[in-house]
Amino acid sequence: MEDKVISKADFSSMVDRLIQEGEYDSIEGVKTKDGKYFFGSLTNSGELCLDYDVTLLPPKKYFLPQRETVITFRQGERPAPEPVAEASSVVLIGVHPYDLKAMELCEAVYSAPPADPNLMIRKSKTVVIGVDCLNPNPQSFSASMGFATTESGYDLMLTDIGDSYVVSVGTDRGADLLARYGRAADATATNLARRDEVREMSLGRYEKSLSMPADEIPAILNETWDSRVFAEKSEVCLSCGSCVMVCPTCVCFDVEDTVALSLDSGERYRKWDSCMLTDFAKVATGENFREDRESRFRHRMHRKGKYLLERYDKPGCVGCGRCGLACLVDIALPADTYNLLKEAS
Amino acid sequence: MKPKVAFFDFTSCEGCQLEVLNFEQEVLQLLNLLEIVNFRELMTERSDDYDIAIIDGAISTDADVARIKEIRERASILITIGACSSLGGVNCLKNAYPMEEVLSVVYGDAAGYYNTIPARPVSAVVPVDYALPQCPVNKAEFLEVVKALLLGKKPEIPNYPVCAECKMAENACVFDLGRTCLGPVTRAGCNALCVTWGRHCWGCRGLVDDPNVDAATDVLKEHGLTAEDIVNKFRIYTAWTGGSE
Ligand code: SF4
Ligand code: SF4
Ligand code: SF4
Ligand code: SF4
Ligand code: SF4
Repeated sequence: MEDKVISKADFSSMVDRLIQEGEYDSIEGVKTKDGKYFFGSLTNSGELCLDYDVTLLPPKKYFLPQRETVITFRQGERPAPEPVAEASSVVLIGVHPYDLKAMELCEAVYSAPPADPNLMIRKSKTVVIGVDCLNPNPQSFSASMGFATTESGYDLMLTDIGDSYVVSVGTDRGADLLARYGRAADATATNLARRDEVREMSLGRYEKSLSMPADEIPAILNETWDSRVFAEKSEVCLSCGSCVMVCPTCVCFDVEDTVALSLDSGERYRKWDSCMLTDFAKVATGENFREDRESRFRHRMHRKGKYLLERYDKPGCVGCGRCGLACLVDIALPADTYNLLKEAS
Repeated sequence: MKPKVAFFDFTSCEGCQLEVLNFEQEVLQLLNLLEIVNFRELMTERSDDYDIAIIDGAISTDADVARIKEIRERASILITIGACSSLGGVNCLKNAYPMEEVLSVVYGDAAGYYNTIPARPVSAVVPVDYALPQCPVNKAEFLEVVKALLLGKKPEIPNYPVCAECKMAENACVFDLGRTCLGPVTRAGCNALCVTWGRHCWGCRGLVDDPNVDAATDVLKEHGLTAEDIVNKFRIYTAWTGGSE
């Protein structure tokens, strides 16, 4: 679709107008706290940081919240379970390409039969404005995964070219939003040349990379099931689950019921779960299929590099680096393990 | 018939009983479901006829040992609330010193009139059905356990580290802010309360079942703590290492 250009001042006005006019239930964007970044509700455009490196949690939380009610019920002869699928309208501003690719994977997972309506409803009510990542965090290897930039997954995509943003229009919905709220002009050949140049420059800023083409990862994993790399790395694993909780492509949840104190009604909710936690693969008899750290660690590496790709034809890791930043013992980054396995094989 | 519930306190600051008394919203509904027959902070009547015993405080005298054994015999379900009864808690800090010294520090010349033994969790003396650590007890978790028992369900107490909840709360990790934390080995269930409110985890919910203490110790060392600092940090809530019944 077409490419536009908007000055930074005009983009700020556009954000302020979106906030003020109230057409959408909320305007969410990247903000800062404790020197870190996170997606949160914007009250004015001044809070928005678009030159960030990475957010603590991925924007996945808007589509798959940490905890969400899925059914309400009444106790008694007729429990009358009611499915719950609510969504408000959101404009989400500042999503990096790797997170957009990760959302495409989540969508593929949740729309496969039996389809899960909750994520899809939220997705349909969210206008996504992406931004190219020009300052990757020190653990990011998304360039190696081919996700330094993306051609899909957004309604609008911004690239910071200095005083202004080039705006790539991804959907009619994006074009419509820009036309109604922003003062954008058609991008010139110079604007587009500058966009290609800043994108190219960003590629040199990745400190982590794969030592092989990404599509070789499944084959390497196939050959190295018994490799000592898994045991050696996982010895210091804290089984804390942080690497999974921060991951934009992790889709697992646990389901629990809770009742009101009156004991006559209640809800079933789901909350994020993590395959790195000790009891994740424990079943009703008390059997635990992945009892030791090594088998959990190996499982996660296979899940990120192979299982999801084989099932959904999309990589299970987008190289965002969050797991590497979160892991206190520095073992979680898939690229590090794949490189070691490659070396050993 | 409503189940009869009795509360008993042992060596503690009574913070946990006060926390339970703070259930303003829920107390009336709870009384529809349960009959409270013994609660020193709340009432003067006493009864020895109860189904569920709820204990706060650590065991730290010979008399405590006899009393908790008697309670265990009468109760069909015994629940410990708070770090003191569930883990031994801060009371166990005294265990590092000879008991005579502890007595004379606390009671001076009157030390001879008192008895004390190394402090221990209730589970070190009698079997405990459900332990709800945290200092003070977590009200939401307590209510979930009460509801589960009334419905005949098995209450779920998390067996994973605080870090998992801390990430879900989207906190910046305090290790990245130049401080240290026991979250990586501490049992979750508090939603990383202290980190969310700007501090760090002290470990008041005790260790997870299979903590990687060696790896956590290395992390603390890398972030500037000495071996002694680390021992002291772990000792606050988890000094008791004598196992359970
Ligand atoms: S596995 Fe790590 S690098 Fe890959 S997407 Fe998840 S958090 Fe990002
Ligand atoms: S790999 Fe790191 S972040 Fe993941 S569970 Fe193990 S210690 Fe925690
Ligand atoms: S656990 Fe904490 S609040 Fe409860 S009695 Fe012990 S010291 Fe007091
Ligand atoms: S602040 Fe503490 S609990 Fe939170 S992630 Fe860091 S180590 Fe874990
Ligand atoms: S964060 Fe740690 S110290 Fe604070 S309540 Fe939770 S377990 Fe206790």
